[in-house]
Amino acid sequence: MKTLATAIIVLLMATAPGSVWAKNIDLSTVPTRDTVQLTIYNAEDLTLVRETRRITFKQGANPLQFSWAGTLIDPTSVELRFLSDAEKLSVLDTTFPHDKPQMLYWNVASDFDGEATVEISYFTSGITWSADYVGITSADEKTMRLDGYVTVTNRSGEDYQNASVRLVVGTINLVEQIAMLAQQGVTMERADARGRVMRRAVQEAESKAMFFAGVAADAAVPLPGAKQVVKEGLSEYFIFAIEGEETVPDGWSKRLRSFQADAAPVKVEYRYRPQEYGDQLMRLYLLTNDKESDMGAAPLPDGIVRIFKQKGEAGLAYVTQQAIKYIPIGDKIELQIGVDPNVVFELKMLAANRDNIWGTFGSSVRRRMDEPGIRIEDRGVVEGWDEHEVYEQVIRNYSPAPGSITVEIRRSFGGDCTFISQLDAKAHDYRTVQYRAQVAPGDTLRLRYEVTTRQGSNAKQNRVQVEPGDPTPVAWAD
Amino acid sequence: MRLILLIVTLLLAGSPALARVKLITLPVRQRVLVQLDHEQATLVEEERIVPLVKGVNQVDFSWAGTSIDPHTIVFRLLEPVAAPKATQAEVLAVSYPPGENALVWDVSASASGSFRVRISYLLGGLSKSFNYRAVAEHDESTLTLSQYLRVENFANEAFDDTSIQLGFGDSFEKPIGVNETREMLVAKLPGVPIRKTYTCDVVSNDYLDAGQKKVLIPMHYVLTNDTDHKLGQAALPYGKVRVFQKDTSGGTAFTGEDWGQFTPIDDEMKLYLGVAQDVVVKRTIARRDRTPIAGNLSNYDVAVQYEIENFKDTPVTLDIVEHPANLRGEAGFNSDRGASWTLGDQHTLGAVDAEHSDIEQATFHVELPARKGDKAEKITHKLHLVYRNEWN
Repeated sequence: MKTLATAIIVLLMATAPGSVWAKNIDLSTVPTRDTVQLTIYNAEDLTLVRETRRITFKQGANPLQFSWAGTLIDPTSVELRFLSDAEKLSVLDTTFPHDKPQMLYWNVASDFDGEATVEISYFTSGITWSADYVGITSADEKTMRLDGYVTVTNRSGEDYQNASVRLVVGTINLVEQIAMLAQQGVTMERADARGRVMRRAVQEAESKAMFFAGVAADAAVPLPGAKQVVKEGLSEYFIFAIEGEETVPDGWSKRLRSFQADAAPVKVEYRYRPQEYGDQLMRLYLLTNDKESDMGAAPLPDGIVRIFKQKGEAGLAYVTQQAIKYIPIGDKIELQIGVDPNVVFELKMLAANRDNIWGTFGSSVRRRMDEPGIRIEDRGVVEGWDEHEVYEQVIRNYSPAPGSITVEIRRSFGGDCTFISQLDAKAHDYRTVQYRAQVAPGDTLRLRYEVTTRQGSNAKQNRVQVEPGDPTPVAWAD
Repeated sequence: MRLILLIVTLLLAGSPALARVKLITLPVRQRVLVQLDHEQATLVEEERIVPLVKGVNQVDFSWAGTSIDPHTIVFRLLEPVAAPKATQAEVLAVSYPPGENALVWDVSASASGSFRVRISYLLGGLSKSFNYRAVAEHDESTLTLSQYLRVENFANEAFDDTSIQLGFGDSFEKPIGVNETREMLVAKLPGVPIRKTYTCDVVSNDYLDAGQKKVLIPMHYVLTNDTDHKLGQAALPYGKVRVFQKDTSGGTAFTGEDWGQFTPIDDEMKLYLGVAQDVVVKRTIARRDRTPIAGNLSNYDVAVQYEIENFKDTPVTLDIVEHPANLRGEAGFNSDRGASWTLGDQHTLGAVDAEHSDIEQATFHVELPARKGDKAEKITHKLHLVYRNEWN
């Protein structure tokens, strides 16, 4: 096992006032780490490390050296706190020597001779965590076994053994990147500012009323070594605390299960939403992050979902993989499965015609041009008209699955439009119409509608209106 | 490179250390399934019997020379094989050592015994394609369709006694060696009815002789993927179709090939086989009239005349396809608006085939009799379109 890169050293030297630190020859003791806690943020390359060590102090001045060669620690964030005998101990000053990068000295004044526990905390970059999910749907696609995982990757340059690990879900604000600060030197102003930020973060973490939102439902009888990931809400964040201690050596990744939903109900839906899914009919699995689905204990962090389908004895079929964004408790999980080759979706434009045509005659006279009785020698120019377009949405369901499929269609229209149909259509927004349909296995559904767009000077609005009515019959198609 | 796909059980039960010096057992593969049902990805599933001791076991999975996507590896414990039935086991964690194609599962077992496990992963380098061989009867009324699967194994891993699944039909077992390509007959379907079509579509196919206004007439075989046409068991995947025709001496002649598009059940696969030289269509624009209404507002009349001769000794159906917006431009009426068309009073082509038509494309069918002796009857038809309320 490699030597730990961070070290605290108690310098053994004269403590009388006026004594000076040896320049090149030192004698020191190295107190070992007793505990270490990692709080890893996924939105930023940021980990808060808190470690405790026991140090024996002598009455008077006690110089401590803390060094972190070869790691990615932000020097401006390093802080020392006394967990015991705090009233008898105080940091008189902190020195960042100009000739020794990745090192600092604390000058601690002690009112007593004896042992005290200190906590050293700092930010480091290079430790990250991410979430991912594996979903296996049942053969009939009615339920899904969904396993959530968290993976911790340590590239910080430091081995963290027997660490308690907490993972923070949420987006925090940083004014400077930790990885950049780890490479830079330090000024006292920056150290003070960073110290203030960290003190606030640590205080918030400790003073907020935490609540346990639940515990992942794992095996009924705990197996040897089985761990739970406990979730707690904290301000705008969520913390996943991994039970017990974990060792993640430098360079390694470790993946642990954060929850397991055995049979989350799945709804299959087909959607045509070109702005979201492109110009194709997308098949989706819809689930909910709630108790009924064996979930709902915590939000689901951003991550990749890999979806398989159970084929019984024949094993699994790979379906797709997709990145999902943070899903709050109670919210829907929408998984895009892809285009179903067994459902044919085509839009046919059957007819187009124009009427209510208006023109300008001379400089200011405006009159309708497509009315009987108008004189053809009148010189006029078309400037406004209504365009009528009749469409047929054809959906063929060749899917072998029993039961009807549900299809939701959204189409957007530009300009001053009216959408006329006998469909159960509604306006999704000022320019988008939405309607739904059920298609039985083996059936072909033909959904007819007409769009009237007022063009040129006839256009008075820029929105679509949905009206019930029969589309104009199309002679050749009816 | 020698392939290595190794699963080892580390005899370190109870020890959380991630030592890379280890004593190992080697559980062998019991069964391998290759799932080729996904369009882009190949899923491999392998079953092994893994011995576990009570407590936490480390199961090490490593590979070399193969392109396994480590993030897609799924480890599932199926059931105890040589252990008390109530024995439980569960994956606690997975560790990924740096710089290695390997991972280590921490598996906890409630008692010592062996477990059947299934490991699934996406594997690169194993690809599939389909092709077809169609042998038509001499009279071209039916054909025998043979569907072949071709698997190319550049995954650097041999698959012996592998069960291959396509997502349709039964699975089959064939060994596939490293760098081996294997073609397998998936299905042989005799007596599949063919519909032969001849298409006159100058926009899609251009003229055969532009000076004489003779249109290039492609001939297609159309297969309908339904049970009435002896197909319809599954969608037909994309693939090359080579077509042969039986001759009178009992042999076959190659008559053409085309890419068969993915064809769902109940849909049609249309195969272009070549140009029909014996069906001659001369196409001319016979009428172009502008009827003013007021100002710059007009109606247009455009008529296309077809002079059709069938020099074949069998009657055929000719499909005539016109694109009204293109025809309007071809007649010299330029407009970027949608073509608002209706059939005019000089129209003789009959009703529009609504299933194969929309605003941009109108399809008609004309029955052509066989030639009589060495004379072909010349049939003349007109397509008359009226474009209303146009201006430019």
